Amino acid sequence: MLSLIWQGAITGLLYAIASLGLVMVFKSSHMVNFAHGSMAGFCAFIVYMITSGLEWPWLVGVLAALATAVALAAIAYFAIAPLITKEGTTATIATLGLGLMLQGLILSLFGANIVNLDLPLPSWSMQVLGLRITLYELVVLGVATFIVVFLFLLIDRTRLGIAFRTVSTHAFAAEVCGLSIRRVHLFAWIASAILGVIAAVLIVPTTFLSSTTVTTFMLQAFAATVIGGFDSLPGSIIGGILVGIATNLFAFYVAPEFMNTFLLVFIFTSLTIFPGGILSRRAGGRV
Amino acid sequence: MSESTLSRTAGPTPNAGLGDRLTRLLDVALLLLLLVVPWVAPSFWTYILALSLANAIGVLSVSVVIRYAGEVSIGQNFFIAVGAYAVAILQARLGVPFPVGVAFGTLLGCVMGLAFAWPSRKLSGVYLSVATLALGLCVPELLLHWTDITGGFEGINVKPNLVAGVPGGIQQFYVALGGFAIVVIALARFRHSRYGIALLTARHHAKAAEAFGMPLASVRLLVFALSAGIAGFGGSILAFASSTVSPNSFTFWSSVYLLVGSVVCLYSTKPSAAFFGGLFITLLPQLLSDYGELVEIIYGFTLFVVIYLFNIVLPHLQAAIRRKQARNGHG
Repeated sequence: MLSLIWQGAITGLLYAIASLGLVMVFKSSHMVNFAHGSMAGFCAFIVYMITSGLEWPWLVGVLAALATAVALAAIAYFAIAPLITKEGTTATIATLGLGLMLQGLILSLFGANIVNLDLPLPSWSMQVLGLRITLYELVVLGVATFIVVFLFLLIDRTRLGIAFRTVSTHAFAAEVCGLSIRRVHLFAWIASAILGVIAAVLIVPTTFLSSTTVTTFMLQAFAATVIGGFDSLPGSIIGGILVGIATNLFAFYVAPEFMNTFLLVFIFTSLTIFPGGILSRRAGGRV
Repeated sequence: MSESTLSRTAGPTPNAGLGDRLTRLLDVALLLLLLVVPWVAPSFWTYILALSLANAIGVLSVSVVIRYAGEVSIGQNFFIAVGAYAVAILQARLGVPFPVGVAFGTLLGCVMGLAFAWPSRKLSGVYLSVATLALGLCVPELLLHWTDITGGFEGINVKPNLVAGVPGGIQQFYVALGGFAIVVIALARFRHSRYGIALLTARHHAKAAEAFGMPLASVRLLVFALSAGIAGFGGSILAFASSTVSPNSFTFWSSVYLLVGSVVCLYSTKPSAAFFGGLFITLLPQLLSDYGELVEIIYGFTLFVVIYLFNIVLPHLQAAIRRKQARNGHG
């Protein structure tokens, strides 16, 4: 039971990282990026291609994936940017078009096969209070902590971070003050893509990589975002960990094949109990 | 697409202009053309057109959500599967005739849509969109679990036995055409009804609609019940027209394809436009069946191009023309 919770919390951290990416985009440009999963999946396949296909070192693979993520995010943002000011759902629908294109690209470049992608880590583990902790879990914990601290310092302390907060609070006022909204949006999109890739590359060793797994993995991230609230960065971390623990317990005690249905019920429950997110004030989040 | 085109085409229009009369002429011509299809076209094309008509109903169910509620639904495959499996299970297991199955499937879809929209009725649209994503993804695993009812991977065959003695292909085509006509006529009537106008008011002036007793939560529930009912009806027709139901036809991606169809016909609820949307998403996978991954790229690209064309390019052109006219007027 304890080990299930621990493992769930570790995977939950990865959901949280992916969810942070969704929230960054939503906070800045007020839209949902449904291509988030496909973008991350595409980059995970780049890592696979370089490390397993070309047998180059991991560092090269990860750097190439990060570069791809930045490029994809920039392309995606500049393609979507003119639509953001348009009527409500247009930009969101456009991201689905983007997702479709990437999905097709993954299928045509890498095929529909399921592949394994393991991190280059020695299989080392230790016992703490009857809990088996693997090196993989420690790496995930370390990376996640680093990312969260780094992101919060970035948003809290730097000029870019202040610009981001201003734009997310009141875009028009920010523009009047002379801030470049496009630059802030671009920052949010690139940060989001990087967060997505990191989460995807770290989650793949626990399952496998195929053209569909990362899309389903993103449902967990979406569920984390729903419970955390679409406009709350700390909320998405709590949400991610909650989703991780809940899905792990559900998969073990009930039925792993009903994961998506469970997440649907989970989303409904959290919408009923915490409308607008776990950290939202009563007035916030409602229409 | 943009606010101005929406209010022009979706709003109640007491005096039909020339453009409206033209589209009506096009709709009638299309209907007449479709009526003779089974007698002149090869049976393969009759089949494809029947599927297109059934898919067009699904496209309409997506367009209704976008048009009346301003939200995106990518979980329509759930409601379509509900309608399709209702017909298939009732026919194969209990021997219930098709019309009863359709009525049941439509009603069940409606109820499911209502139940689905309930938890997020007061929240901003993003939460609803994400919930539809989860809804869309959970269909195959549900269908694959209760194998003895749903038939598992192979699914269930649906016999075209509505009228004894008439060939199956012809029955399937006319049922699809009839179903499509019913939905299109019902939607056209709905648009000018009290509820239709109230919904469109809510879409443009939420506060005004609320003052008239149409709060946003009711809008959400009403639109989702309507859309899910149409999707359930479309699913029933699709099951009959394609003579089989299986989990592969109701994946999350089929919802995304319906959305592509809806975008391609500019979220229109007009018959010819919706038929074109259905035809587009039915025909392309058939033509490119050897290049499966190309279909997704083409769909994604088309979606993007259409959105760009009607949101960015055309408004720019219109503005340019207007500027030129103004300049000529002064000169």
